[in-house]
Amino acid sequence: MGKGGNSEDVVAGKEEVGEENMAAWLLGIKTLKIQPFILPPLGPHDVKVRIKAVGICGSDVHHFNTMRCANFIVKKPMVIGHECAGIIEEVGSEVKNVGVGDRVALEPGISCNRCNLCKNGQYNLCREMKFFGSPPTNGSLANQVVHPSNLCFKLPDNVSLEEGAMCEPLSVGIHACRRAQVNPETNVLIMGSGPIGLVTMLAARAFGAPRIVLVDVDDQRLAIAKELGADDVIRVSTNIQDIDEEVAKLQTAMVSGVDVSFDCVGLNKTMATALNATRAGGKVCLVGLAQSEMTVPLTPAAAREVDIVGIFRYRNTWPLCLEFLRSGKIDVKPLITHRFSFSQKDIDEAFETSARGGNAIKVMFNL
Amino acid sequence: MGKGGMSQGGDEKGEGEENMAAWLLGVNNLKIQPFILPPLGPYDVRVGMKAVGICGSDVHYLKVKLRCAHFIVKEPMVIGHECAGIIEEVGIEVKSLVPGDRVALEPGISCWRCQLCKEGRYNLCPDMKFFATPPVHGSLANQVVHPADLCFKLPDNVSLEEGAMCEPLSVGVHACRRANIGPESNVLIMGAGPIGLVTLLAARAFGAPRIVIVDVDDYRLSVAKDLGADGIVKVSTNTQDVAEEVVQIHKAMGDRVDVTFDCAGFDKTMSTALSATSAGGKVCLVGMGHNEMMVPLTPAAAREVDVVGVFRYKNTWPLCIELLRSGKIDVKPLITHRFGFSQQEVEEAFETSARGGTAIKVMFNL
Repeated sequence: MGKGGNSEDVVAGKEEVGEENMAAWLLGIKTLKIQPFILPPLGPHDVKVRIKAVGICGSDVHHFNTMRCANFIVKKPMVIGHECAGIIEEVGSEVKNVGVGDRVALEPGISCNRCNLCKNGQYNLCREMKFFGSPPTNGSLANQVVHPSNLCFKLPDNVSLEEGAMCEPLSVGIHACRRAQVNPETNVLIMGSGPIGLVTMLAARAFGAPRIVLVDVDDQRLAIAKELGADDVIRVSTNIQDIDEEVAKLQTAMVSGVDVSFDCVGLNKTMATALNATRAGGKVCLVGLAQSEMTVPLTPAAAREVDIVGIFRYRNTWPLCLEFLRSGKIDVKPLITHRFSFSQKDIDEAFETSARGGNAIKVMFNL
Repeated sequence: MGKGGMSQGGDEKGEGEENMAAWLLGVNNLKIQPFILPPLGPYDVRVGMKAVGICGSDVHYLKVKLRCAHFIVKEPMVIGHECAGIIEEVGIEVKSLVPGDRVALEPGISCWRCQLCKEGRYNLCPDMKFFATPPVHGSLANQVVHPADLCFKLPDNVSLEEGAMCEPLSVGVHACRRANIGPESNVLIMGAGPIGLVTLLAARAFGAPRIVIVDVDDYRLSVAKDLGADGIVKVSTNTQDVAEEVVQIHKAMGDRVDVTFDCAGFDKTMSTALSATSAGGKVCLVGMGHNEMMVPLTPAAAREVDVVGVFRYKNTWPLCIELLRSGKIDVKPLITHRFGFSQQEVEEAFETSARGGTAIKVMFNL
């Protein structure tokens, strides 16, 4: 997993015969270097995975640009990346669920499994969570990683390794739809048509949502949403004065009321719009974690019993993601817009591309 | 119910005394004047009002430009909605009640046609007609006409004043339901006013094992302690103090904070609530404060702390009455001041209620 370290560290294990394991290390602001990455010895419940596909997340870009993401601060060199899939190369002595050669998608986070949150099944909230690419835990943009086998999920034959890597962002959408209880009677509004807004749309449709409207400031992204099946898309502004007018437009587009809004951006304006647009008794799901202090019309929403549901990563989502992909109920392939190889030059370009946004939805590494 | 109107003179129904009510005529202007009741519908009852409590919203209409949130008083309106009385007459189709029955009244008449009503969330009905929410007349009157299904018989051991207390108590009960309070819910309450206190009583009745309550006012905190709060913390009005107060709150709780009820509704109380509540918990916004609030929403959402809204109540009277009958809840200590139904006393009562401090629930006895 995120175990292993710099080749500067003294490590008990011997190096493999053949190629050295290399990884993309975040050394400083906008400084990524491919350098050796020493893996720890394989524990009895671990597997060694040859990584084949890694996607870039907005949080990776944020770490890249600022060496931090909310309360997570990068204090020493760290391997970046967490959206990944690969092929099992070696299994620990107690591993039964996967075998050498299996194609697997990886769930990034190792929780403690001892605290009350873990025991209650809310392991995504575990305070001891060790998560790929969240400092100080090394990530998975590497040739190989070591990871617990129970966090590796076998891909069905018709699901590619890239789709396997897409399970991670898709899981955010799935978890949000579960927490918001999306079902065949839920009319859904999604603020933001970026990667997270789009996987949330795909998830909502898979959960049966009959009507889904997306909003964004960017026409290109709205066009993609329409292609991916949005019932309607609406262009909005960044100007808070426009809220009332936009809410009116949204409600017209939605026809029979907004049951659940997903704010996949997380700004004052998007939250205020969502709170105002959602019908009495509905829910607003805050998925996008953009700004800390928010100024929002909380009281009028509370007085209509519009609840706010928080989302942090996901839990128990890989099996469902893989089933949706296997059955074709969800198709994530259109979200992969740019591909790069695992070389120094390509890494820099890949991060630039992802940071650019616009027509770059998911940037994928093929290793 | 809030039907009826002002007497233009010469229009009195029935023999005996004219029906009088406390009319809100303008800011700080309450006058006891005749109140004409409509004819009794087949499913209505006429109630002789005996006990009426004053709510913060009543005070707000009186003192603050005749409005409360988006409700605006545009013409004279009878005030008051927390009430109980004695049945005087029943409509021809009424089977559940007879004259002489002592009843507590649920104020709001919903439409029973819209989607929200049909789903049981009738408190959110957009066509709700609610005592003393303009333009609907309230119940601080000698008599009102009201649907029988919104009048609930009081057991012998529950007084009319306790019957009137069912209304504010319902807010606490509804909040505890929405927040799923149970024997494992450690509860934090922001604000030890009437609503914070009924929420305290309701949470305990729902099984909450540990309840900590905070306020800026020492007297109200002592009342909370007397009513059974496990811990009390004095807090300030200063937003800079949030971090430190959260530490004190956690010390007082000694354990997780599962649910926080913000019964005040300010930026500071909401920020404290969001910061103090444990991952996976809930913050229930009960107090209706400012419209726009500046709060650390994202760090809370990133710990899956949900915000649950509460508006009035639904289907709470039977439970409130049972909790009072069994003694699981005792609301009597909350009634701190009593007044009769005269012009002078009506004015004094509202002043007392507006004062806050040692005045928790001000009650009229008619």
